[in-house]
Amino acid sequence: MTAPRLPISSALMTPPLMAILALGLAPLTIVVVWSFWSWDPSTYWIKPDLSLAGYAGILEAGRWTVIVSTLVKAFATALLCLLIAYPTAYAVHFLAGRRLSIILLALITIPFFTSYLIRSFSWRLVLGRTGVLNTWLQDLGMINAPLDWLLFSNFAVIVGLIASYLPFATFPLLLSMRRVDPTFLAAAQDLGAGFWKSLTSILLPLTMSGIFAGFLFVFVMVVGSSTEVQMLGGAGASIVSVMINDVMRVANYPLAFAISTIVLIVIFGLVLIGNRMFGLSSLFEDQSP
Amino acid sequence: MMIREGLFNRILLWAITIAGLIVIYAPPLYLLAVSFNPALQPGVPRLSDLSLTWYAALPHERALVGALQQSLIIATITAVLATGMSLLAALAYFELRATRTAWFLTVILPMFVPGVIQGLALSAVFTRSGIKASTLTVIAGHLLWAMPFAFIVILTSFAAVRRSYLTAAADLGATRWRQFVDITLPLIRPGLISAVIFSFLLSLNEFTRAFYLAGRQNTLPVVLFGKMNSGASPVIYAMSGAIFLVSVGCVALASVHFLLRRN
Repeated sequence: MTAPRLPISSALMTPPLMAILALGLAPLTIVVVWSFWSWDPSTYWIKPDLSLAGYAGILEAGRWTVIVSTLVKAFATALLCLLIAYPTAYAVHFLAGRRLSIILLALITIPFFTSYLIRSFSWRLVLGRTGVLNTWLQDLGMINAPLDWLLFSNFAVIVGLIASYLPFATFPLLLSMRRVDPTFLAAAQDLGAGFWKSLTSILLPLTMSGIFAGFLFVFVMVVGSSTEVQMLGGAGASIVSVMINDVMRVANYPLAFAISTIVLIVIFGLVLIGNRMFGLSSLFEDQSP
Repeated sequence: MMIREGLFNRILLWAITIAGLIVIYAPPLYLLAVSFNPALQPGVPRLSDLSLTWYAALPHERALVGALQQSLIIATITAVLATGMSLLAALAYFELRATRTAWFLTVILPMFVPGVIQGLALSAVFTRSGIKASTLTVIAGHLLWAMPFAFIVILTSFAAVRRSYLTAAADLGATRWRQFVDITLPLIRPGLISAVIFSFLLSLNEFTRAFYLAGRQNTLPVVLFGKMNSGASPVIYAMSGAIFLVSVGCVALASVHFLLRRN
Protein backbone atom coordinates (compact mmCIF):
# COMPACT_ATOMS: atom_id res chain seq x y z
CA MET A 1 0.00 0.00 0.00
CA THR A 2 1.36 3.38 -0.92
CA ALA A 3 0.13 6.56 0.67
CA PRO A 4 -2.33 8.49 -1.50
CA ARG A 5 -0.24 10.79 -3.70
CA LEU A 6 -0.97 14.45 -3.90
CA PRO A 7 -1.40 15.77 -7.43
CA ILE A 8 1.90 17.18 -8.66
CA SER A 9 0.38 20.64 -9.06
CA SER A 10 -0.27 20.92 -5.31
CA ALA A 11 3.31 20.03 -4.50
CA LEU A 12 4.59 22.65 -6.95
CA MET A 13 2.15 25.28 -5.76
CA THR A 14 2.89 24.94 -2.05
CA PRO A 15 6.07 27.08 -1.68
CA PRO A 16 4.93 30.04 -3.79
CA LEU A 17 1.45 29.86 -2.30
CA MET A 18 2.85 29.91 1.24
CA ALA A 19 4.92 32.98 0.36
CA ILE A 20 1.92 34.74 -1.14
CA LEU A 21 -0.28 33.91 1.85
CA ALA A 22 2.28 34.89 4.49
CA LEU A 23 3.70 37.97 2.79
CA GLY A 24 0.66 39.08 0.81
CA LEU A 25 -2.58 37.92 2.32
CA ALA A 26 -1.63 38.20 6.00
CA PRO A 27 -0.62 41.89 5.71
CA LEU A 28 -3.78 42.68 3.72
CA THR A 29 -5.89 41.00 6.37
CA ILE A 30 -4.25 43.18 9.00
CA VAL A 31 -4.98 46.23 6.86
CA VAL A 32 -8.69 45.46 6.76
CA VAL A 33 -8.96 44.38 10.43
CA TRP A 34 -7.00 47.29 11.91
CA SER A 35 -8.97 49.78 9.82
CA PHE A 36 -11.89 49.01 12.16
CA TRP A 37 -9.85 49.46 15.36
CA SER A 38 -9.70 52.61 17.45
CA TRP A 39 -6.76 54.97 17.92
CA ASP A 40 -6.01 57.12 20.94
CA PRO A 41 -4.64 60.49 19.80
CA SER A 42 -3.02 61.24 23.19
CA THR A 43 -0.89 58.08 23.37
CA TYR A 44 -0.79 57.09 19.67
CA TRP A 45 -1.81 53.57 20.78
CA ILE A 46 -4.29 51.44 18.90
CA LYS A 47 -6.88 49.22 20.55
CA PRO A 48 -8.94 46.36 19.14
CA ASP A 49 -12.23 48.13 19.88
CA LEU A 50 -14.57 48.15 16.92
CA SER A 51 -14.71 51.68 15.57
CA LEU A 52 -15.45 53.44 12.31
CA ALA A 53 -13.28 56.42 13.28
CA GLY A 54 -10.74 55.49 10.62
CA TYR A 55 -13.33 55.68 7.87
CA ALA A 56 -14.83 58.87 9.39
CA GLY A 57 -11.31 60.34 9.29
CA ILE A 58 -11.30 60.03 5.51
CA LEU A 59 -14.06 62.63 5.37
CA GLU A 60 -12.05 65.05 7.55
CA ALA A 61 -9.28 67.47 6.62
CA GLY A 62 -10.08 67.19 2.91
CA ARG A 63 -8.64 63.68 2.75
CA TRP A 64 -11.36 62.51 0.39
CA THR A 65 -10.33 65.22 -2.06
CA VAL A 66 -6.86 63.64 -2.21
CA ILE A 67 -8.49 60.32 -3.06
CA VAL A 68 -10.56 61.97 -5.80
CA SER A 69 -7.57 63.86 -7.21
CA THR A 70 -5.54 60.65 -7.19
CA LEU A 71 -8.21 58.94 -9.28
CA VAL A 72 -8.31 61.94 -11.65
CA LYS A 73 -4.50 61.87 -12.02
CA ALA A 74 -4.61 58.12 -12.63
CA PHE A 75 -7.33 58.50 -15.27
CA ALA A 76 -5.53 61.32 -17.06
CA THR A 77 -2.15 59.56 -16.99
CA ALA A 78 -3.62 56.28 -18.22
CA LEU A 79 -5.37 58.04 -21.11
CA LEU A 80 -2.25 59.99 -22.13
CA CYS A 81 -0.14 56.83 -21.89
CA LEU A 82 -2.54 54.99 -24.22
CA LEU A 83 -2.30 57.82 -26.75
CA ILE A 84 1.49 57.42 -26.84
CA ALA A 85 1.62 53.66 -26.34
CA TYR A 86 -0.80 52.69 -29.13
CA PRO A 87 1.27 54.25 -31.92
CA THR A 88 4.40 52.84 -30.27
CA ALA A 89 3.02 49.31 -30.17
CA TYR A 90 1.84 49.76 -33.77
CA ALA A 91 5.27 50.93 -34.89
CA VAL A 92 7.02 48.03 -33.14
CA HIS A 93 4.64 45.39 -34.46
CA PHE A 94 3.76 46.59 -37.97
CA LEU A 95 6.38 49.12 -39.07
CA ALA A 96 9.72 48.04 -37.64
CA GLY A 97 11.88 45.36 -39.20
CA ARG A 98 13.01 42.36 -37.17
CA ARG A 99 16.18 43.90 -35.78
CA LEU A 100 14.68 47.31 -35.05
CA SER A 101 11.68 45.73 -33.33
CA ILE A 102 14.01 43.83 -31.00
CA ILE A 103 15.87 47.02 -30.12
CA LEU A 104 12.58 48.85 -29.52
CA LEU A 105 11.26 46.00 -27.40
CA ALA A 106 14.39 46.14 -25.28
CA LEU A 107 13.99 49.92 -24.92
CA ILE A 108 10.40 49.41 -23.74
CA THR A 109 11.44 46.67 -21.33
CA ILE A 110 14.33 48.53 -19.68
CA PRO A 111 12.24 51.13 -17.76
CA PHE A 112 10.43 48.41 -15.78
CA PHE A 113 13.69 47.54 -14.06
CA THR A 114 15.37 50.91 -13.59
CA SER A 115 14.88 53.08 -10.54
CA TYR A 116 11.62 55.07 -10.49
CA LEU A 117 13.28 57.25 -7.85
CA ILE A 118 16.24 58.17 -10.04
CA ARG A 119 14.06 58.67 -13.11
CA SER A 120 11.69 61.00 -11.24
CA PHE A 121 14.60 62.85 -9.67
CA SER A 122 16.23 63.41 -13.06
CA TRP A 123 13.17 65.41 -14.17
CA ARG A 124 14.16 68.06 -11.62
CA LEU A 125 17.23 68.80 -13.73
CA VAL A 126 15.04 69.18 -16.81
CA LEU A 127 12.11 71.15 -15.41
CA GLY A 128 13.77 73.29 -12.72
CA ARG A 129 14.18 77.10 -12.86
CA THR A 130 17.72 76.65 -14.15
CA GLY A 131 16.87 73.36 -15.84
CA VAL A 132 17.33 72.37 -19.46
CA LEU A 133 13.85 73.33 -20.64
CA ASN A 134 13.86 76.82 -19.11
CA THR A 135 17.38 77.47 -20.39
CA TRP A 136 16.44 76.41 -23.92
CA LEU A 137 13.23 78.40 -24.00
CA GLN A 138 15.09 81.48 -22.79
CA ASP A 139 17.92 80.99 -25.27
CA LEU A 140 15.39 80.68 -28.07
CA GLY A 141 13.80 83.91 -26.85
CA MET A 142 10.39 82.29 -26.38
CA ILE A 143 10.18 83.36 -22.74
CA ASN A 144 11.86 86.15 -20.80
CA ALA A 145 11.80 84.72 -17.30
CA PRO A 146 11.99 81.05 -16.26
CA LEU A 147 8.62 79.31 -16.07
CA ASP A 148 7.92 78.44 -12.43
CA TRP A 149 5.07 76.04 -13.06
CA LEU A 150 7.26 73.50 -14.84
CA LEU A 151 8.60 71.94 -11.64
CA PHE A 152 6.94 71.21 -8.29
CA SER A 153 3.53 71.34 -9.93
CA ASN A 154 0.78 69.05 -11.17
CA PHE A 155 2.29 69.41 -14.63
CA ALA A 156 5.59 67.97 -13.43
CA VAL A 157 3.81 65.16 -11.60
CA ILE A 158 1.81 64.11 -14.68
CA VAL A 159 4.92 64.22 -16.88
CA GLY A 160 6.84 62.17 -14.32
CA LEU A 161 4.00 59.65 -14.04
CA ILE A 162 3.82 59.21 -17.82
CA ALA A 163 7.59 58.72 -17.99
CA SER A 164 7.44 56.15 -15.19
CA TYR A 165 4.48 54.05 -16.28
CA LEU A 166 4.26 54.39 -20.08
CA PRO A 167 5.69 50.86 -20.68
CA PHE A 168 2.86 49.39 -18.60
CA ALA A 169 0.53 50.50 -21.40
CA THR A 170 2.80 49.59 -24.31
CA PHE A 171 3.33 45.95 -23.36
CA PRO A 172 -0.26 44.70 -23.20
CA LEU A 173 -1.03 46.62 -26.42
CA LEU A 174 1.85 44.90 -28.15
CA LEU A 175 0.72 41.48 -26.91
CA SER A 176 -2.81 42.12 -28.14
CA MET A 177 -1.59 43.26 -31.58
CA ARG A 178 0.36 40.01 -31.94
CA ARG A 179 -2.92 38.11 -31.64
CA VAL A 180 -4.58 39.96 -34.50
CA ASP A 181 -4.98 37.70 -37.52
CA PRO A 182 -3.18 39.54 -40.36
CA THR A 183 -5.60 38.20 -42.96
CA PHE A 184 -8.33 40.47 -41.56
CA LEU A 185 -6.15 43.50 -42.23
CA ALA A 186 -5.21 42.20 -45.67
CA ALA A 187 -8.88 41.66 -46.47
CA ALA A 188 -9.75 45.20 -45.40
CA GLN A 189 -6.91 46.46 -47.58
CA ASP A 190 -8.19 44.49 -50.59
CA LEU A 191 -11.66 45.89 -50.10
CA GLY A 192 -10.22 49.38 -50.34
CA ALA A 193 -10.03 50.43 -46.72
CA GLY A 194 -7.41 53.07 -45.99
CA PHE A 195 -5.21 53.21 -42.91
CA TRP A 196 -7.67 55.04 -40.66
CA LYS A 197 -10.58 52.86 -41.78
CA SER A 198 -8.60 49.65 -41.09
CA LEU A 199 -7.48 51.08 -37.78
CA THR A 200 -10.91 52.07 -36.50
CA SER A 201 -12.97 49.18 -37.85
CA ILE A 202 -10.51 46.28 -37.48
CA LEU A 203 -7.44 46.90 -35.37
CA LEU A 204 -8.98 48.91 -32.52
CA PRO A 205 -11.86 46.48 -31.88
CA LEU A 206 -9.52 43.48 -32.06
CA THR A 207 -7.05 45.01 -29.61
CA MET A 208 -9.69 46.08 -27.09
CA SER A 209 -8.33 43.69 -24.46
CA GLY A 210 -4.87 45.26 -24.81
CA ILE A 211 -6.30 48.77 -24.62
CA PHE A 212 -8.22 47.93 -21.48
CA ALA A 213 -5.28 46.10 -19.87
CA GLY A 214 -2.91 48.97 -20.70
CA PHE A 215 -5.29 51.53 -19.24
CA LEU A 216 -5.82 49.38 -16.16
CA PHE A 217 -2.11 48.75 -15.50
CA VAL A 218 -1.20 52.44 -15.72
CA PHE A 219 -4.25 53.48 -13.67
CA VAL A 220 -3.42 51.01 -10.91
CA MET A 221 0.29 51.90 -10.85
CA VAL A 222 -0.52 55.63 -10.55
CA VAL A 223 -3.03 55.02 -7.74
CA GLY A 224 -0.22 53.27 -5.83
CA SER A 225 2.57 55.67 -6.77
CA SER A 226 4.31 58.01 -4.35
CA THR A 227 7.83 58.79 -5.64
CA GLU A 228 6.71 61.03 -8.50
CA VAL A 229 4.68 63.28 -6.18
CA GLN A 230 7.42 63.33 -3.53
CA MET A 231 10.05 64.28 -6.11
CA LEU A 232 8.10 66.55 -8.46
CA GLY A 233 4.95 67.73 -6.68
CA GLY A 234 4.43 71.19 -5.23
CA ALA A 235 4.33 72.12 -1.54
CA GLY A 236 0.77 70.96 -0.87
CA ALA A 237 0.80 68.17 -3.44
CA SER A 238 -0.44 64.81 -2.32
CA ILE A 239 -1.51 61.47 -3.64
CA VAL A 240 -3.03 58.57 -1.73
CA SER A 241 0.28 56.85 -0.90
CA VAL A 242 1.86 60.09 0.33
CA MET A 243 -1.23 60.80 2.44
CA ILE A 244 -1.00 57.34 4.05
CA ASN A 245 2.64 58.06 4.82
CA ASP A 246 1.71 61.43 6.40
CA VAL A 247 -1.03 59.86 8.53
CA MET A 248 1.50 57.32 9.82
CA ARG A 249 3.66 60.08 11.36
CA VAL A 250 1.30 59.84 14.35
CA ALA A 251 1.02 56.05 14.00
CA ASN A 252 -2.68 56.36 13.19
CA TYR A 253 -2.96 52.82 11.81
CA PRO A 254 -6.79 52.74 11.69
CA LEU A 255 -6.97 55.84 9.49
CA ALA A 256 -4.00 54.79 7.30
CA PHE A 257 -5.49 51.34 6.85
CA ALA A 258 -9.02 52.67 6.23
CA ILE A 259 -7.60 54.69 3.32
CA SER A 260 -5.61 51.62 2.21
CA THR A 261 -8.73 49.44 2.32
CA ILE A 262 -10.61 51.84 0.04
CA VAL A 263 -7.65 51.97 -2.37
CA LEU A 264 -7.30 48.18 -2.41
CA ILE A 265 -11.01 47.70 -3.10
CA VAL A 266 -10.76 50.07 -6.07
CA ILE A 267 -7.60 48.38 -7.41
CA PHE A 268 -8.65 44.75 -6.96
CA GLY A 269 -12.17 45.56 -8.18
CA LEU A 270 -10.77 46.99 -11.42
CA VAL A 271 -8.33 44.12 -11.94
CA LEU A 272 -10.99 41.46 -11.36
CA ILE A 273 -13.56 43.21 -13.56
CA GLY A 274 -10.88 43.57 -16.23
CA ASN A 275 -10.08 39.91 -16.00
CA ARG A 276 -13.74 38.91 -16.19
CA MET A 277 -14.33 41.10 -19.25
CA PHE A 278 -11.11 40.59 -21.18
CA GLY A 279 -9.24 37.62 -19.73
CA LEU A 280 -6.00 39.33 -18.72
CA SER A 281 -4.20 36.03 -18.24
CA SER A 282 -4.83 35.00 -21.85
CA LEU A 283 -2.72 37.98 -22.97
CA PHE A 284 0.38 36.32 -21.57
CA GLU A 285 -0.29 32.78 -22.68
CA ASP A 286 1.61 31.30 -25.54
CA GLN A 287 -0.18 30.52 -28.77
CA SER A 288 2.08 27.75 -29.88
CA PRO A 289 0.57 24.28 -30.26
CA MET B 1 3.26 45.21 -45.32
CA MET B 2 -0.32 44.38 -44.49
CA ILE B 3 -1.57 47.93 -44.21
CA ARG B 4 -0.49 50.80 -46.42
CA GLU B 5 -0.25 53.57 -43.85
CA GLY B 6 0.88 56.31 -46.21
CA LEU B 7 3.95 58.44 -45.63
CA PHE B 8 2.24 61.04 -43.44
CA ASN B 9 0.72 58.50 -41.08
CA ARG B 10 3.95 56.58 -40.87
CA ILE B 11 5.86 59.72 -39.92
CA LEU B 12 3.18 60.51 -37.33
CA LEU B 13 3.42 57.03 -35.79
CA TRP B 14 7.20 57.15 -35.59
CA ALA B 15 7.16 60.70 -34.21
CA ILE B 16 4.89 59.68 -31.33
CA THR B 17 6.99 56.55 -30.69
CA ILE B 18 10.19 58.60 -30.53
CA ALA B 19 8.53 61.24 -28.34
CA GLY B 20 7.53 58.52 -25.87
CA LEU B 21 11.08 57.16 -25.78
CA ILE B 22 12.48 60.67 -25.26
CA VAL B 23 10.12 61.23 -22.31
CA ILE B 24 11.39 58.00 -20.76
CA TYR B 25 15.09 58.27 -21.52
CA ALA B 26 16.11 61.92 -21.96
CA PRO B 27 16.02 63.00 -18.28
CA PRO B 28 18.03 60.09 -16.82
CA LEU B 29 20.53 60.30 -19.70
CA TYR B 30 20.90 64.01 -19.03
CA LEU B 31 21.53 63.22 -15.37
CA LEU B 32 24.15 60.73 -16.48
CA ALA B 33 25.85 63.39 -18.63
CA VAL B 34 25.76 65.85 -15.73
CA SER B 35 27.47 63.31 -13.49
CA PHE B 36 30.59 63.54 -15.69
CA ASN B 37 30.70 67.32 -15.31
CA PRO B 38 33.29 68.44 -12.74
CA ALA B 39 31.47 71.77 -12.21
CA LEU B 40 29.11 72.12 -9.25
CA GLN B 41 26.42 73.70 -11.43
CA PRO B 42 24.52 70.96 -13.34
CA GLY B 43 24.98 71.06 -17.09
CA VAL B 44 26.22 68.91 -19.95
CA PRO B 45 30.02 68.96 -19.83
CA ARG B 46 32.09 69.79 -22.89
CA LEU B 47 34.05 66.82 -24.20
CA SER B 48 37.31 68.31 -22.94
CA ASP B 49 35.82 68.77 -19.46
CA LEU B 50 34.64 65.17 -19.03
CA SER B 51 35.74 64.01 -15.61
CA LEU B 52 35.23 61.21 -13.17
CA THR B 53 35.64 63.56 -10.18
CA TRP B 54 32.31 62.67 -8.62
CA TYR B 55 32.72 58.97 -9.27
CA ALA B 56 36.13 59.08 -7.60
CA ALA B 57 34.45 60.67 -4.59
CA LEU B 58 31.94 57.80 -4.27
CA PRO B 59 34.10 55.37 -2.23
CA HIS B 60 34.54 58.07 0.42
CA GLU B 61 30.79 58.35 0.98
CA ARG B 62 30.48 55.84 3.82
CA ALA B 63 26.67 56.01 3.97
CA LEU B 64 26.31 55.32 0.24
CA VAL B 65 28.81 52.46 0.19
CA GLY B 66 27.23 50.76 3.20
CA ALA B 67 23.78 51.12 1.67
CA LEU B 68 25.01 49.80 -1.68
CA GLN B 69 26.46 46.68 -0.02
CA GLN B 70 23.20 46.11 1.82
CA SER B 71 21.19 46.54 -1.38
CA LEU B 72 23.41 44.10 -3.28
CA ILE B 73 22.99 41.41 -0.61
CA ILE B 74 19.22 41.88 -0.52
CA ALA B 75 18.92 41.94 -4.31
CA THR B 76 20.96 38.76 -4.76
CA ILE B 77 18.93 36.74 -2.25
CA THR B 78 15.66 38.17 -3.58
CA ALA B 79 16.64 37.25 -7.16
CA VAL B 80 17.37 33.62 -6.29
CA LEU B 81 14.24 33.18 -4.16
CA ALA B 82 11.90 34.97 -6.57
CA THR B 83 13.14 32.96 -9.56
CA GLY B 84 12.86 29.63 -7.73
CA MET B 85 9.36 30.41 -6.47
CA SER B 86 8.24 31.67 -9.88
CA LEU B 87 9.57 28.57 -11.61
CA LEU B 88 7.50 26.39 -9.25
CA ALA B 89 4.50 28.68 -9.80
CA ALA B 90 4.91 28.45 -13.59
CA LEU B 91 5.26 24.65 -13.53
CA ALA B 92 2.12 24.45 -11.40
CA TYR B 93 0.35 26.75 -13.86
CA PHE B 94 0.82 24.25 -16.67
CA GLU B 95 -0.35 21.34 -14.52
CA LEU B 96 -3.58 23.12 -13.64
CA ARG B 97 -6.64 23.10 -15.85
CA ALA B 98 -9.80 24.64 -14.41
CA THR B 99 -8.07 26.80 -11.79
CA ARG B 100 -5.37 28.13 -14.11
CA THR B 101 -6.69 31.68 -14.31
CA ALA B 102 -7.24 31.84 -10.56
CA TRP B 103 -3.65 30.73 -9.97
CA PHE B 104 -2.33 33.25 -12.49
CA LEU B 105 -4.20 36.05 -10.72
CA THR B 106 -3.02 34.88 -7.30
CA VAL B 107 0.62 35.18 -8.35
CA ILE B 108 0.14 38.43 -10.30
CA LEU B 109 -2.08 40.37 -7.86
CA PRO B 110 0.73 41.38 -5.43
CA MET B 111 2.15 43.49 -8.27
CA PHE B 112 -0.87 45.76 -8.01
CA VAL B 113 -0.70 46.33 -4.25
CA PRO B 114 0.74 49.83 -3.74
CA GLY B 115 4.24 49.75 -2.24
CA VAL B 116 3.29 51.99 0.66
CA ILE B 117 0.42 49.73 1.70
CA GLN B 118 2.43 46.54 1.23
CA GLY B 119 5.45 47.88 3.13
CA LEU B 120 3.44 49.41 5.96
CA ALA B 121 1.20 46.37 6.42
CA LEU B 122 4.08 43.91 6.30
CA SER B 123 6.00 45.93 8.89
CA ALA B 124 2.87 45.85 11.09
CA VAL B 125 2.76 42.05 10.77
CA PHE B 126 6.46 41.77 11.66
CA THR B 127 6.17 44.12 14.64
CA ARG B 128 3.20 42.18 15.98
CA SER B 129 5.01 38.84 15.63
CA GLY B 130 8.08 40.25 17.37
CA ILE B 131 10.30 40.12 14.27
CA LYS B 132 12.85 42.94 14.21
CA ALA B 133 13.39 44.91 11.01
CA SER B 134 16.48 43.56 9.28
CA THR B 135 17.90 42.40 5.99
CA LEU B 136 15.42 39.53 6.01
CA THR B 137 12.35 41.74 6.39
CA VAL B 138 13.35 43.77 3.33
CA ILE B 139 13.86 40.54 1.36
CA ALA B 140 10.39 39.41 2.45
CA GLY B 141 8.94 42.66 1.11
CA HIS B 142 10.87 42.47 -2.15
CA LEU B 143 10.03 38.84 -2.82
CA LEU B 144 6.37 39.52 -3.58
CA TRP B 145 7.32 42.61 -5.62
CA ALA B 146 9.71 40.66 -7.87
CA MET B 147 7.72 37.42 -8.20
CA PRO B 148 4.99 38.58 -10.60
CA PHE B 149 7.56 39.91 -13.07
CA ALA B 150 9.72 36.80 -12.79
CA PHE B 151 6.59 34.64 -13.19
CA ILE B 152 5.52 36.39 -16.40
CA VAL B 153 9.02 36.14 -17.90
CA ILE B 154 9.26 32.43 -17.08
CA LEU B 155 5.71 31.82 -18.29
CA THR B 156 6.49 33.40 -21.68
CA SER B 157 9.68 31.37 -21.97
CA PHE B 158 7.59 28.20 -21.68
CA ALA B 159 6.39 28.90 -25.23
CA ALA B 160 9.55 27.05 -26.33
CA VAL B 161 8.43 23.87 -24.57
CA ARG B 162 6.11 22.06 -26.97
CA ARG B 163 3.70 19.56 -25.47
CA SER B 164 4.81 17.07 -28.15
CA TYR B 165 8.43 17.07 -26.90
CA LEU B 166 7.28 15.99 -23.46
CA THR B 167 4.87 13.41 -24.84
CA ALA B 168 7.64 11.95 -26.98
CA ALA B 169 9.96 11.76 -23.97
CA ALA B 170 7.22 10.12 -21.90
CA ASP B 171 6.63 7.55 -24.67
CA LEU B 172 10.33 6.73 -24.56
CA GLY B 173 10.02 6.07 -20.84
CA ALA B 174 11.30 9.31 -19.33
CA THR B 175 9.97 10.10 -15.86
CA ARG B 176 8.46 13.51 -15.08
CA TRP B 177 11.72 14.48 -13.41
CA ARG B 178 13.86 13.46 -16.42
CA GLN B 179 11.49 15.31 -18.77
CA PHE B 180 11.94 18.40 -16.62
CA VAL B 181 15.74 18.19 -16.38
CA ASP B 182 16.47 17.12 -19.97
CA ILE B 183 13.80 19.03 -21.92
CA THR B 184 12.02 21.76 -20.03
CA LEU B 185 14.97 23.20 -18.11
CA PRO B 186 17.32 23.73 -21.10
CA LEU B 187 14.50 25.23 -23.15
CA ILE B 188 13.42 27.77 -20.54
CA ARG B 189 16.96 28.65 -19.44
CA PRO B 190 16.97 32.09 -21.14
CA GLY B 191 13.75 32.84 -19.26
CA LEU B 192 15.28 31.81 -15.95
CA ILE B 193 18.38 33.92 -16.51
CA SER B 194 16.21 36.92 -17.40
CA ALA B 195 14.07 36.31 -14.33
CA VAL B 196 17.16 36.36 -12.08
CA ILE B 197 18.45 39.58 -13.62
CA PHE B 198 15.06 41.30 -13.56
CA SER B 199 14.30 40.32 -9.94
CA PHE B 200 17.76 41.49 -8.91
CA LEU B 201 17.20 44.89 -10.48
CA LEU B 202 13.65 45.25 -9.15
CA SER B 203 14.96 44.66 -5.64
CA LEU B 204 18.04 46.85 -6.10
CA ASN B 205 15.91 49.79 -7.23
CA GLU B 206 12.93 49.31 -4.92
CA PHE B 207 12.37 52.23 -2.58
CA THR B 208 8.91 52.36 -0.97
CA ARG B 209 8.79 48.91 0.65
CA ALA B 210 12.39 49.11 1.86
CA PHE B 211 11.56 52.49 3.42
CA TYR B 212 9.21 50.73 5.87
CA LEU B 213 11.01 47.41 6.23
CA ALA B 214 14.71 48.28 6.48
CA GLY B 215 16.42 47.80 9.82
CA ARG B 216 19.43 49.75 11.06
CA GLN B 217 21.16 49.56 7.69
CA ASN B 218 19.08 51.30 5.01
CA THR B 219 19.14 50.24 1.38
CA LEU B 220 20.65 52.41 -1.34
CA PRO B 221 17.40 53.93 -2.70
CA VAL B 222 16.32 54.91 0.82
CA VAL B 223 19.64 56.66 1.48
CA LEU B 224 19.55 58.28 -1.99
CA PHE B 225 16.02 59.54 -1.35
CA GLY B 226 17.14 61.28 1.83
CA LYS B 227 20.11 62.88 0.10
CA MET B 228 18.07 63.97 -2.93
CA ASN B 229 15.75 65.94 -0.68
CA SER B 230 18.46 67.55 1.43
CA GLY B 231 20.17 69.50 -1.34
CA ALA B 232 21.44 67.43 -4.24
CA SER B 233 25.20 67.12 -4.52
CA PRO B 234 26.94 65.98 -7.71
CA VAL B 235 27.94 62.79 -5.89
CA ILE B 236 24.24 61.88 -5.91
CA TYR B 237 24.25 62.34 -9.69
CA ALA B 238 27.24 60.01 -9.95
CA MET B 239 25.66 57.30 -7.79
CA SER B 240 22.30 57.61 -9.58
CA GLY B 241 23.99 57.69 -12.95
CA ALA B 242 26.04 54.59 -12.18
CA ILE B 243 23.02 52.64 -10.91
CA PHE B 244 20.96 53.68 -13.93
CA LEU B 245 23.72 52.70 -16.33
CA VAL B 246 24.21 49.28 -14.73
CA SER B 247 20.46 48.61 -14.75
CA VAL B 248 20.10 49.58 -18.40
CA GLY B 249 23.09 47.46 -19.38
CA CYS B 250 21.79 44.37 -17.57
CA VAL B 251 18.27 44.58 -18.97
CA ALA B 252 19.48 45.35 -22.47
CA LEU B 253 21.71 42.28 -22.44
CA ALA B 254 19.06 40.05 -20.91
CA SER B 255 16.20 41.15 -23.14
CA VAL B 256 18.17 41.07 -26.39
CA HIS B 257 19.44 37.59 -25.47
CA PHE B 258 15.91 36.51 -24.52
CA LEU B 259 14.22 37.98 -27.59
CA LEU B 260 16.80 36.69 -30.05
CA ARG B 261 16.38 33.21 -28.64
CA ARG B 262 12.61 33.37 -28.90
CA ASN B 263 12.19 34.80 -32.36
